[in-house]
Amino acid sequence: MKPVITFALMTLRNLLRRRTIWGICIVILIALFGIGQIPSYGVSNEGRFILDFGLFGLEIGALLLAIGLASNIYPRDREQKTVMPIIAVPLSRGQYLMGRFIGAAIVEAAAMIVGCIGLMVILLMNGHAVPADMFPATLLLLIEGWFLLAVVFFFSFWTSPPLNAPLTVLLFIVSQLSVSGFIKLFPQAPGLMRALRLLLPHMDVFHIKDPIAHGMNIPGLYFLLAIFYGLAYMAFMLSVALVVFRSRDLK
Amino acid sequence: MGDCPLQVKELEKSFKKKLGLSSFRAVDSISFQLYPGEILGFLGPNGAGKTTTIKCVLGLLKPSAGKVSLWGSHPAAPEVRRRIGYVPENPDYDDLFTPLEFMTMFSSMRRLDMSREQMFVILDRVGLSKWENVRIRSFSKGMKQRVSLALALQSKPELLIMDEPTGGLDPVARKEFRDIILEENQRGVSIFLSSHLLSEVETICDRAVILSEGKKVVEGRLEDLMRTEDHYRITYRVSDEQEELEIHAALLQKTIDDLRVKGYGIISVNPLYRSLEEVFLSATSGVGR
Amino acid sequence: MRLAAVILITAVLLLLACKADYDIEEVTPPEHTGTDHHDEHDECEHEHPEHVESSHEHETEAAEPASVHEESHEHDVLEMSGSHRHVHAAGEKNHGTGWFFNQPWAASFIWGKMLRDALILLVLSAVILFLSKYRRKRQ
Repeated sequence: MKPVITFALMTLRNLLRRRTIWGICIVILIALFGIGQIPSYGVSNEGRFILDFGLFGLEIGALLLAIGLASNIYPRDREQKTVMPIIAVPLSRGQYLMGRFIGAAIVEAAAMIVGCIGLMVILLMNGHAVPADMFPATLLLLIEGWFLLAVVFFFSFWTSPPLNAPLTVLLFIVSQLSVSGFIKLFPQAPGLMRALRLLLPHMDVFHIKDPIAHGMNIPGLYFLLAIFYGLAYMAFMLSVALVVFRSRDLK
Repeated sequence: MGDCPLQVKELEKSFKKKLGLSSFRAVDSISFQLYPGEILGFLGPNGAGKTTTIKCVLGLLKPSAGKVSLWGSHPAAPEVRRRIGYVPENPDYDDLFTPLEFMTMFSSMRRLDMSREQMFVILDRVGLSKWENVRIRSFSKGMKQRVSLALALQSKPELLIMDEPTGGLDPVARKEFRDIILEENQRGVSIFLSSHLLSEVETICDRAVILSEGKKVVEGRLEDLMRTEDHYRITYRVSDEQEELEIHAALLQKTIDDLRVKGYGIISVNPLYRSLEEVFLSATSGVGR
Repeated sequence: MRLAAVILITAVLLLLACKADYDIEEVTPPEHTGTDHHDEHDECEHEHPEHVESSHEHETEAAEPASVHEESHEHDVLEMSGSHRHVHAAGEKNHGTGWFFNQPWAASFIWGKMLRDALILLVLSAVILFLSKYRRKRQ
């Protein structure tokens, strides 16, 4: 485990030294700040509005961060051949993948914490209470972000970064659709569409911003189940990514 | 063959061309081995398959056929990887880090308990003592080579695999690298050295394998490879003066007899040696696929 | 080739495992379209309590969004803060709000399926990793 942790910290430092991550975080905070300003233009229930759109913003932020963080890590390593001396001697491919993933996951977690605190500050500045469920809701969004990170890593082993981003966004969108909604995309082949949809993850599991914004209580058991589901899917994606990575030649 | 640091048997590696409809064979059924404590030169023109072979040896490429083993084990086995050091061709490390940071992280990844002082000693040995805290971004190719040598030496390897290690170095640095390689070899390290610099191979290697167009064309001890079978040099004495005569093997016995009849004392008869460059050129010309 | 086989087996297993899916509209048991729905109403904000009664009258139609939509359009359009918006009795499945309760958090009857799928995914991950390692060892 020590090699993986060391490599994860190396990845973390690398990502923090690249300025793009700071750019994405600043964009998230500006977006949250903007959401805090809109209610003053006359929309009622502004607390609900801020919370609802703020959590939505965090979700989109998690998606953008996952793409921004991970889509270029392996292709850059391969292009610049920095992966060779690492894989050749100190690390196995599995350790490389886990190290890179954990490093990116830490950055994603830190960004989500910053976003959550930003949302809290905006709520308080506008004179609204911060619902206790906001924290587990952010945790679920983080789990969703980690899952997306695993998806981006999976795509990065067999596609180029320009293709990785739209593929991930597409997966993110269709994974929100119900089976019937997915079939409507191509109603000519309902059986095929149903089969395809059932293979995709169910990201609506992570969506609790609406009930939270409406002041409803989410059972604790549901949070645990959703976290377990998200982590299991993440582990599955990473396993498939590792199998693909192991089958690749490093030319 | 568990004692043999490196054994390559009938190794083949093919790459698929675009659309996967046809393939290109980069390495074609080559076999050789590296014995404990020796320096094996791995030579060949550009595109001969040297780097592909090295990547197969390191487990970066999967052989299409044949077998590579390090001390009798699979190259990807963790117990094997701990025993090797690798100096890549054109090393490119994450340029946002410094050599010292790399040393620290690699030592941790390899589970080596190295103190900062020990790292400084290695950095000093490869000539990076003044650059330890400078980001690699500003380094020249030669300095990056020094970083990779430092990282390779860090674990006190039993086998050093070097792919064109002195490619981007100036003559002084090349000499320093050569000295380090020889020092390591004297410590008992087996060295697998791929190089274009024939003079370097001639100076430090015990044996050589020459590839051409993916095939092994020559393997042997350098002395045997460079010795010509058909020409000899006769050294003889003519009234207190020493003279030399180069002669074809077919005329050797007759010439010796003639010199004796004339009363000249024969001092020595030795086979003529070619340069490694001549060996290389004659081995790599005319190999078709 | 083996990788393709692993992916195919994975796909088939997932397909078999997820026959009953998360499309709540499809899999809601009859009892959940009745009384349980009522409980959810009680937890909601009651912006317009006078509408609760009318929503209860249509409880049994909750799984049929088209008919509910017609009802809501007749009753629930209000003007607020200079903007037009639908306001329904809390939790009423209606145009624009049906999806609100068609989410896993509100449908406890699918939580078991979430757990089942998570376990299947973990088992699949372990099988994939084992096969990949076994294959490498054989090489």
